[in-house]
Amino acid sequence: MSARRVAVTGLGMVSPVGASAQDSFDALLDARSGLRLYEPPDAPRPIAVPAGVCADFDPVAALGATQAARMDRYCQLGVVAGLAAWRDAGLAQTADEDRAAWAVAWGTGMGGALTYERSYRQLFAGGRDRLAPLTVVQAMNNACASHLAIALQLGGSCSTYSVACASAAMAIGEAFRRVRSGAAPAALAGGSEAPLAYGVIRAWLALQVLAPGDAQSAAGACKPFQAARGGLVLAEGAAALVLEDWQRAERRGARIYAELAGYGESCDCANLVRPDADGQARALRAALADAGMAPAEVDYVNAHATGTREGDAVEIAALAAALGDRAPAVAVSSTKSAHGHPLGAAGALEAVATVLALHRRAIPPTLGDAAGLDPACAGVAHVIGAARREAPLRAALSNSFAFGGSNAVLAFRA
Amino acid sequence: MQDTAPAFRFVQERLGIDLKSADAAAELSSLGVDSLSLLELMFEIEEKFGVKVDEDTPPPRSCGELAGLLEHLAAGRS
Repeated sequence: MSARRVAVTGLGMVSPVGASAQDSFDALLDARSGLRLYEPPDAPRPIAVPAGVCADFDPVAALGATQAARMDRYCQLGVVAGLAAWRDAGLAQTADEDRAAWAVAWGTGMGGALTYERSYRQLFAGGRDRLAPLTVVQAMNNACASHLAIALQLGGSCSTYSVACASAAMAIGEAFRRVRSGAAPAALAGGSEAPLAYGVIRAWLALQVLAPGDAQSAAGACKPFQAARGGLVLAEGAAALVLEDWQRAERRGARIYAELAGYGESCDCANLVRPDADGQARALRAALADAGMAPAEVDYVNAHATGTREGDAVEIAALAAALGDRAPAVAVSSTKSAHGHPLGAAGALEAVATVLALHRRAIPPTLGDAAGLDPACAGVAHVIGAARREAPLRAALSNSFAFGGSNAVLAFRA
Repeated sequence: MQDTAPAFRFVQERLGIDLKSADAAAELSSLGVDSLSLLELMFEIEEKFGVKVDEDTPPPRSCGELAGLLEHLAAGRS
């Protein structure tokens, strides 16, 4: 076991439930949904689906007109969340120390999907024969990580992970490894996604995994673990964590929210979309082993649960397998019921929620009705409908399981 | 594009530079305008005002050169 420990010293978020990490967590605790009926603008065949939208996000106000114009929305959200985490950690924006080895690790599944769509529309429907010169650098998946590295003068590794719904969790896990190994004294890790393009929504509709909903029901359309669940709800959003060598954080008197103690990953190697309990359990066991954490220490799991019929039950089976006798006592919730599923950013939003649950000793609930729990999802201590407050938590896990079968689990200690 | 006023206003909006009062010799790069920003600006001006910058025209390096290029475009000589 490595002697070096990794502290979480800064948090940032822009989500459908709030403009900051703390505001978003307050909304999660209060069981406020950020989901609503969304109609993508300028759709050739109008559609409306429940979605998590960062409706109050104003990129020009947050970044200035020049910077905002250079970025796709996924990047605008990510840069704002990343810089917020940095400020929250009490670190200066301009380098007052040598940051040549400091790292950025970012996750996004779809990168500049809105930029691609706008550009294709101009070419194929608009009859145009040229695109804006910045199209390439707006759309590329690693733009957000690089904008953050430039803004904060982080000169070490700058990597972007595109692993569908596990993207940000893997980015955080890889950044954790770099800090724990000593390769980077500190790292900014997280993820962002802005997938609410007409074509993207159509593609997800075609896969038949989106939850139905109208203007009245959209807020409650995502019902993880409940018998009435009808699918996932797409969302946009971003979140970031500052990971720092523990001793360094202590020396500078930083506020330490929690310890990121372990990271586990696995591949189902079974099916592109059907999740596999054995594969997920391997990632869970790997995270526990990496953290030197016994199942008995785990008090909370922020589940991946997206609200699909098959996925939620498989995850509970994986938790039962990996946590054994401990599983029935472990509190489990899926905050996707409130913020929706921001795909590649999900692992970051949920890691922040998990850290704040430990730090504030409160468990955000799965939105919905405890009486409606699906018996196929029983076997853990579900927190449904209302938060569990005054909860002394020792350790918590955050699960992210991707299409493609890639699984990532982050293990945090209070 | 009949006169330069709308284009100057657009530059002010995008780059925060008032070409009427700016030092003509001031380097655009020293005002935070890098090659990407300039590329995007010229593209937007072409789109917005329906003009075309000749491909042989070297990119403007100073405020004076940018103002000159816009005057050239306004006069319809490019």
